[in-house]
This record gives sequence, C-alpha cells and structure tokens, in this order.
Amino acid sequence: MSSTPSRRNRKSAARKTAAVLAGKATGALSRATRRGGGTTLPGDVARAIDPKILTKLAADLTYGSIVITGTNGKTTTARLISYLLEGAGHRVVSNRAGANLIFGATAAALNEAAPTGTLRADWGVFEIDEASLPKAVEEIKPKITLVLNLFRDQLDRYGELESIAKKIEQALAAMPDEAVKILNADDPRVAEIGLGLPATPLWFGLDDASVAATELPHAADARTCPRCGASLIFTAVYVGHDGNYHCPNNDFARPTPTMTARNIKLDGFDRFAATIDHQRLEVPLGGLYNTYNVLAAFAVAKSLGLESDYIAERLKDFSAAFGRQERLEFRGRHLNLVLSKNPAGFNETLRTAVELAKGTSFLIALNDRKADGTDVSWIWDVDFEQLKGSATVVVPAGTRAHDLAVRLKYAGVPAAQPEIDPGKALDLLIKMTNDGDTAHLLCTYTAMLDLRAELVRRGWAKPYWET
Amino acid sequence: MNTTKMPRSSHTFTVGWLYPDLMNIYGDRGNILTLLKRAEWRGYEAKLVELGRGTVNQMDEVDVFFFGGGQDREQALVYEDLLEFKQPPLERAVNSGAGVLAVCGGYQLLGHYYQTAEGERFPGIGMIDVRTEAGKKRFIGDVVVDADIDTLNPKTLVGFENHSGRTFLGPKARPLGKVRLGNGNNGSDKTEGCLQGTVLGTYLHGSLLPKNPHLADYLIRSALIRRGVDELSPLDDAVEMAAHERILQRAQHQHR
Repeated sequence: MSSTPSRRNRKSAARKTAAVLAGKATGALSRATRRGGGTTLPGDVARAIDPKILTKLAADLTYGSIVITGTNGKTTTARLISYLLEGAGHRVVSNRAGANLIFGATAAALNEAAPTGTLRADWGVFEIDEASLPKAVEEIKPKITLVLNLFRDQLDRYGELESIAKKIEQALAAMPDEAVKILNADDPRVAEIGLGLPATPLWFGLDDASVAATELPHAADARTCPRCGASLIFTAVYVGHDGNYHCPNNDFARPTPTMTARNIKLDGFDRFAATIDHQRLEVPLGGLYNTYNVLAAFAVAKSLGLESDYIAERLKDFSAAFGRQERLEFRGRHLNLVLSKNPAGFNETLRTAVELAKGTSFLIALNDRKADGTDVSWIWDVDFEQLKGSATVVVPAGTRAHDLAVRLKYAGVPAAQPEIDPGKALDLLIKMTNDGDTAHLLCTYTAMLDLRAELVRRGWAKPYWET
Repeated sequence: MNTTKMPRSSHTFTVGWLYPDLMNIYGDRGNILTLLKRAEWRGYEAKLVELGRGTVNQMDEVDVFFFGGGQDREQALVYEDLLEFKQPPLERAVNSGAGVLAVCGGYQLLGHYYQTAEGERFPGIGMIDVRTEAGKKRFIGDVVVDADIDTLNPKTLVGFENHSGRTFLGPKARPLGKVRLGNGNNGSDKTEGCLQGTVLGTYLHGSLLPKNPHLADYLIRSALIRRGVDELSPLDDAVEMAAHERILQRAQHQHR
C-alpha cells in the first residue's frame, strides 16, 4: 500500500529535519575537536540520512541560488558575489571555505539551517567543482550559473579537459532557458559550450590591448578551432588561453562580450582599476586574473539588479578569501600568501609577483595530495623562468619540494635546499628574507593549508574558519 | 684529412618536438628542457626544432625526436598529419641513427594500431612492433621500473602513468623494463615501455627525463654515437637524483 501525499510530505520533512540535525551535530563536533572547520563532513552525514537534503534546503531560499564553476577564480568570485549581496542587505549562504564538491555545498546549507530544518536565507552562492556541476545544478536548480574558464588542471583526478568541458556542457544544456547563464567569451572552450546553447548566454570578456600579451604561453590548452581543427589566431592573450581569438578559416571566433572590462590599470598584488559597463572600479585585489573575477561578479550583480555605483563603492573595501591572497606580518617581514594550483594560475601569480610587485623572495610549495592532484608533471608547464634574474631567494617546499628543486634548476633559477616540512621551510624563508622585505608564498591547495596551519600554530594567522 | 666533410657542426645537438602545440598534455616540456639543458651544460649548442602540423623543416638535422601525449581531439588531428607529412622523414632520420622518445599517446601512434572498446581500429604508423587496445580502468599513479638497459646506472626509472590503453609488444620490440610499482604497458605482463632500435616508447611522464637524468643521457649518447661521441662528460645530478630517490622511498610504502 502506498502512503498518502500528505503522509509522504510529513515523512520527507521529518527526514530533512533529522538530516539537518545530524549534519549540524557533526559540524559542531568537528570544530570542537579541532579537526578543521567542519566544511564537508556534515554534508556527508546529512546526505546519507536524506539524499534530497540539498534540493530541499535550496528550495527554502527566498530568491534562489547562484552557482559558480571554472578552473580558476571560483572562491574569489563567489566571495565577491556574496559580499555584494550582503552589502545590499541580503542574507547569503555559501560554501566559502573552498569546499566545492556537492558535500561542501550541502554542509554550507546545513550550517545556516535552523534546527527545525528550515534554511532561512535569501540567496545561496555556491562555488562548484567543474566535475560536480551536473549533479549540483540538478539539485540546487540555480537562477544563475557562471562559467569562469577552463584550464588544464589535475588530469589525474578529472581526466582530460575535454571530458570536463562535456560535463559543463551537459549541465548547462539540462537547465531551463529562463535560468541565466553567464560565460567567459575570452575562453575558447567555454565559448564553444555557450555557442551550442539554445539561448544566447550573457558573455563577458576583457577589452584592453595594453595588458595583453600577443603570444600564447606554453601551458595553453584550447588552441584549435572546434569546427575545422585549424590553430586559432590570437590577437590578444590575457590569462592562459583566454583572450581575443579567431579561426583562420572564419569557422569560429570569440563571441562579442556584452560586459567588458577596459582601461585596466594593475598595481601589483595591491589593487587594480578598470572600467566595467561605464563604471570606474578600484578593487583591492591584484593580478589580471582578479580583473576577470571582478568582471564576472559584476555581471552577476547587474543581472540581480544591483546598481553600478553601489557595486563600485562596496568593492573598494573587499578582501580576498583565506590563502587566496592573504597578507601576514612576521618579525618585520611581509608575507603574501597566494594560492597557485595549475599552470594558468601559477603563470599569472608569478607574473604579478615578479613584474608588478617586483618580488625578490619566494617560497613555492607543491603538494601532491588528492586535492592538489597526485600528478605533479604540470610544474613543467609553469614558466618558472620568469624568476630568473629577479628572485634572490627561492625556497622549494611541500611534499614534492624535490621535484620543484629540479624544475627550478632547469629554469636556471638558483634555489635553496628543498624543505618538505612546512615549519622548516618557513624558518628558512624568514632567515633568508631581509627585514622589511616582502616574501611571496605561492602554494598548491593543501600546501597552503599546511603552511597556514603552521602560521596559525605560531600565532601569525587566524584559523581559516574564522576568516 | 677530411674535416670539411664533418656532418654539420659536431657541436650542435638538436631536439625535434613533434606537435608541441597539440601533444603536450603532461608537462612534456620537462623532457625537452632536460635534453636541451644537459647537452648545453656539456658545451653543445642545443637547438630545438618545433614540428607542428604541415612542416617537415630540418627533420634530417634532428638528433632526438620527442613525441608526447595529447587529448583525443588533438590526437586525431595529429594522426592525419603524421601520415601525410612526417612519417617518411621520421623513418629516414631513425634509419640513420636519430633517437625517438615517445610518451603515452605518441607511443601508441608509433605502433601498429589503437583499438577502441567498440573494436574500431585506428592505425598507427607501425614504426615500432606494438599494438594497443582500450582498457576499462584507467591506470593512474606513481610508477617505478627496473630498466633493462645495460649501460644505465642506476637501473631504476621513476615516473607517473595516466592511461587507459593496454599496449602489447611484438617480437621486434623489447620491454624497457619491468614494473616494481604501477601498471606499465598493460597491467598484466609487468612490462613497461619498449625499445626498438633507437626508438624508446613509454607510458611514464611526470615528467620522465628530469627525474631520470641517466635516461636522458642514454638518449643523448645513443643519438650522438653516429657522430663519433662515445662518452658524455659527467654532470652534477644531486638535485635530480634526490627527487628520484624520494619516489623510490615512497614506493616502498605504496601498493597499487
């Protein structure tokens, strides 16, 4: 015998409440035992009790959700969007610690849910790992989906770029036409996805030759025309393979963006200025990759109805997420912690540190845990040659410090002895860096967590769930 | 005296990179850099020739060719060009003693064929006596090989594999070595890679040569024998071998 609809509803609600309570208890326990911020485990527990928990919680949101995906910039962009919404008086739930699998998104929603099981918030802002996107949009049913870029990243975990692109394609195709899709026109693989959609997405892109290179870096991936296979011609290259491109046989070209950033002025890791949609912005974030993040967040904010002058005013005081670009002080040295996890990201942080910030002191930390990618061969696609002649201190660190030391040797960059232990690596960096100087710490994801844990232990930084 | 008849300059060492823009997926630049730098550090004028689609320029000057892996989409583009342009000059160069290092997709394309799970066969150029079939499970992880090359010291090779192809050797090819850790050619016969004349095929990247400088030197020396070079001057490989050692140490605690 089947149960009546109302009985089913009651059962479903009871299951939701039980899942929320169990998830919340797990989170509290995880934080109390100092096993970390409880950023994903509560999600596991709650989903085991109620597999539909994320869909149910997302349906509680007053206005709906925004989902952000792409290889680089998810965390910063999600944080920018939340920050803009919060400043406009909205209550936002988001997976802000970079826990971007479906469990992380679930845990974030749980964290904000009342013990009765209801999620009381206006907007959900979720950064979602590219491979998890189909499942995430199916469960969350976002109002807006933002695709930032598609770079080579962690092939051991995800497989080839092409299979990731297919996942994103599949996710966007399954969404209703009225759901807003905001895509990066400058990324050839993202553009290919967008051009295949039944409705034209909202395209964004950079438009400033003064900050562009004219040649592709070695690490570029998408350089052939999806229609005829010819090598694409780039008239401007901004980050990785993102730029202004066209096929020599006129089979494919960058879609004309409706939202552009122009007149870009970069000032090291400190700030940049740009004109987006006729609005002059000054944002305390460094590097051209952050111009993309701000442009994307601006596009989202505008489609949510926020005013340009409000966005500009609010962004003046933005601060990046933990470890994304974090400033710490120790014994007169300024430490600049920057997450750098794949060739495209690494090349940009190196360029910013060397060319714009005139950095001379570096710690480069490479781990090969699951979250970093167990295959470290990508370091050979990073242009560490940029450090040649300008860096006076380079400390190779992390579980694969020895591989980095070899990479630096073949780049012609003199390096210190490799240090696997984060504490010893920091000690060496401090010893070799002059008082008053800035040291740039470029690290992969778990290497950044290790270094930060060491900095917290020494009292130089706050735990990440407090940032 | 016939010093004027010396082939080119005896002091250049040329690496030919097949399809640098399309077949470069797993940090293959590390292999190129290692070959070039190690020749340069020994006083050779190291030269890189990029062999993209449609070009065969300077292929007869190349000492060692490198052919890396690519994504399926790119591999299909490369195959046509390989048949149309590169195969004849490549075979000529190899017959005159030039070396080839082929990794993953490049390794498969030099063999007889690649057979998909559905039984469809994509022919290779048959330069080496190997054939590849699609496998269900992808082999991903660290690999340690005991190499079967007499002059190699140490005998171990370390790298990272990431492939679903299962490669089997015919009688003309012999294995590069036996896997101590990892799956190698096919996961069933414990072999990894192949050697056939001066062609070396392998699934190891990571990149392969930076952490195996002795194998890089083996390739350089093998290609220079035809120019009367017997021995390469020794280099300080402490940094490279420390990275090699780290993988060996870890391998003692890994089971795959």
